[in-house]
Amino acid sequence: MSIKEWVNKLKILDPEDVKVLGARIDTIDIEVNGVLYTNVRLKRPFPYTHPECLILYDSNDEEVGILRDYRKLDKESKNLVERVLEVVYFMPRVKRILSINPRGGVYEWVVDTDKGLIKFKTWRSCARLLSNGKVIIKDVDGNVYCVENIFKLNSRSQALLSIFI
Amino acid sequence: MRAIDTDTDDSDIIYYPSPIELSKVLRDDFSGYLESDEEVIVLAKSDLTVNERGISYGEEHLALTNKRVLVIRDSAITKEFRLTDVSSASLRDYLSTIVLTLNVRDEVVSVMTLSRTRKKQFEKVVTLINDITLHKIPYNMLKKHLFERVNLQKEKVESNRSVLVKLFKFVKPLWYMLLVTSLLSVATTTMNLLPPYLMKVLIDEVLIPRSNLGKLLTIILALLGVNLSLTILGVLRNYALLKLNQRLAFRLRAKIYEHIQLLSLSFYDKFSRGAIISRIVDDVNRVLYFLTQGVSMIVLDLAMIILVGIIMFSMSPWLSSIALLPVPVSLIGTAIYRKVMPKYYHRLWRKWSRVISTLSESLSAVILIKTLGKEHAIVRRFKESLDEFVSSNIEVFKNEQKFWPFIGLSFTISNLLIWWLGGLQVLTGALTLGSLTAFVSYMWSFYGPINDLANHLRLVQQVTVAGERIFEVLSTKPESADKPDARDLKIVGGVELKNVWFTYDGIHYALKDVSFKIEPGEHVGIVGPSGSGKTTLTKLLLKLYEPQRGNILIDGVDVRDIKSSSLKRQVAIVMQNPILLNVSIAENITMGKENATLEEIMAAAKAARAHDFIMKLPEAYDTKVGVYGGRLSGGERQRIAIAAALLKDPKILILDEPTSSLDALTERDVTKAVDNLTKNRTTIIIAHRLSTLRNVDKIIVLDKGTVIEQGSHEQLIRTDGLYKKLFEAQFADFLEERKKRVLLRG
Repeated sequence: MSIKEWVNKLKILDPEDVKVLGARIDTIDIEVNGVLYTNVRLKRPFPYTHPECLILYDSNDEEVGILRDYRKLDKESKNLVERVLEVVYFMPRVKRILSINPRGGVYEWVVDTDKGLIKFKTWRSCARLLSNGKVIIKDVDGNVYCVENIFKLNSRSQALLSIFI
Repeated sequence: MRAIDTDTDDSDIIYYPSPIELSKVLRDDFSGYLESDEEVIVLAKSDLTVNERGISYGEEHLALTNKRVLVIRDSAITKEFRLTDVSSASLRDYLSTIVLTLNVRDEVVSVMTLSRTRKKQFEKVVTLINDITLHKIPYNMLKKHLFERVNLQKEKVESNRSVLVKLFKFVKPLWYMLLVTSLLSVATTTMNLLPPYLMKVLIDEVLIPRSNLGKLLTIILALLGVNLSLTILGVLRNYALLKLNQRLAFRLRAKIYEHIQLLSLSFYDKFSRGAIISRIVDDVNRVLYFLTQGVSMIVLDLAMIILVGIIMFSMSPWLSSIALLPVPVSLIGTAIYRKVMPKYYHRLWRKWSRVISTLSESLSAVILIKTLGKEHAIVRRFKESLDEFVSSNIEVFKNEQKFWPFIGLSFTISNLLIWWLGGLQVLTGALTLGSLTAFVSYMWSFYGPINDLANHLRLVQQVTVAGERIFEVLSTKPESADKPDARDLKIVGGVELKNVWFTYDGIHYALKDVSFKIEPGEHVGIVGPSGSGKTTLTKLLLKLYEPQRGNILIDGVDVRDIKSSSLKRQVAIVMQNPILLNVSIAENITMGKENATLEEIMAAAKAARAHDFIMKLPEAYDTKVGVYGGRLSGGERQRIAIAAALLKDPKILILDEPTSSLDALTERDVTKAVDNLTKNRTTIIIAHRLSTLRNVDKIIVLDKGTVIEQGSHEQLIRTDGLYKKLFEAQFADFLEERKKRVLLRG
């Protein structure tokens, strides 16, 4: 079978056929072409590089389909999806790095984020620069923080972050 | 007594030697021994001789002509064999000796003895004898091939001589930066000449007469100005040097890296990973230091020597002549140094390469070492290599001390002489105190660069060795480079091997006269014991190596006539232990097709049954897989590799034992993935486990590099051959177990 045939087998959902009826903390209820699905979980196959792409799983963990770009949903549905994604993919956005100090083999960061001032610890290898300028920072416990665009940080923050990239 | 040099070099094997080269080994005119149409193809030197008193170090030569094999000892021919009587040649490998044997009229004759040092050279000789006698390659064809090799060898000798010239070619595009640094160096030199002159004026016109306050202030301000200028010039020079260094570093490293990516696998057989890293890191650093700092310092030294020399001679020719006395000592010492030291540096760097190799290999095999509990053994090995490096470093230091302290002492003696003779002149009034002080100051400004120049010439020595090592890599030509008329081919999927012979080392053939045909879309299994040549076959199909004889045809076109890029685009391989790059899963999958869409990536992963486990990872397709894919299990890596192959949509697919290292459950998953991958494609499955071949159309059985059976499973089981034996061996346990169960039930 060629790759084209495999692509044709994917369940790609048309945003116009999808209507989000409601949202809980981490799940949504949807209607797809008149079929109701409750407690649907959202997963991003490419959480950093293509966060707009979602795969929807029903309560039995069966794939409902792939939403290539959830932002194309109607406004109300989009808002509900984003509310759940905020929880499922919680990732404070770093606006400014105040300090990074080495302490006993780890680094203590103090950063200003969209969720407020945060202090966390990382190992030496903790940051990942993506091709779009986005930087993903993981702390020692696995919590993820993100810099939307390294080049939009102030020069001091850029200088501090560049040590880890 | 002179120690025996067990080293070997290119002069130990000479292709198509000249009459002068031949006259060095044979007392009489060599041409008198040759028949009409006979010419010497190769002259090789051994280093051991065996006579009635036993084995000892000594030279013997072997001359291979297009008609005979001649052995020459003490300038006389001692053995002679006609090639028409010889059916093959081989080397017998002993602990530290090698014996060259010829099969002469069905009798094996020992011809020459050599140390292992000469093994590589004599492997080439054996290959040549076998090409003529065993493989019956026409002499004209062989000669053409050899001439190409001889030309390459000459090119290499020439390139070694002009290493420095070649290195400067790298700087050529950045000539303006080198010019700026050199001009800044000269400006610094000129500035440095002023303080002694100002000191002279200060002593003679201010301090001794004890007057002229205004002049004192002027001189102090001038000294301040000079020092400020020197600081500014120093900063500018360092900045220019840094810029030049970084630009050059980029050019050199990128060039080597790009080049080694294009080289064939045989290059990687020759150089260890550590040796390559050492060339890219250490040797490039040495070259960079020389081309930036070194050249600038040499320019500075030369400028200083010339300018200060002129000033000194204008001040006092007599004292200047005395000052020149240690210069010849320094020059002669340096010349001897340059002759003696390279071998110690070569040895030192070889030892360092070994340290890096041991380190790199032990890190790659960390799991193996830990599971075998060999941590102490590997630490011991590392310490040994480190110990050798330390000894070699001490050896270099000891030899260095034979030169530099003596040269330094000669300068000190000359300085004392100047003070003695100059002091007498001051006492008699022939010279002012200020002039003597300035002269001594200039003299050190003169000696300094001479001493430094000698030291900096060491850099030339070191950089020549480092440059040679770099060009050794850069001058290796890509063996499988495309022919100029190679073309793109839209592959349908037919594969045919016609009388293919292949050897890695030039002596042992991994494939011997292999022929078979695979129709487009056919699924073929290749089986055989370990070392039977199965994996070699896949490397040839991918054009990673080229066969020495025979043809590999894809849809009837010789692979040599197909562009490598075209072939690699349409032929995919899934290895037994695929190694992934330390990038995201998505990026590893798109190795099969750049610019693949998200849908294609997910579809390929679904077909490879990888999608579900990927989606269970928190970062899903954006998960970084770790070094060599170490964060994933063997089965997961295997399925990512299958997804990459699927995305490539290959016309020919090679599966090299894809499920052999997996557990039963994972094997089932991967087998299903493989089934998805192989549908409607020409598929070659290399298999150890015969169960993998349940759906193939044809099975080819290889043994010791030769096809011994081919046919369907049923056909091969009916014949009492190797396949049946392998099948029975693999299923004996299974059948035994089944029999027992049936009996128990009964």
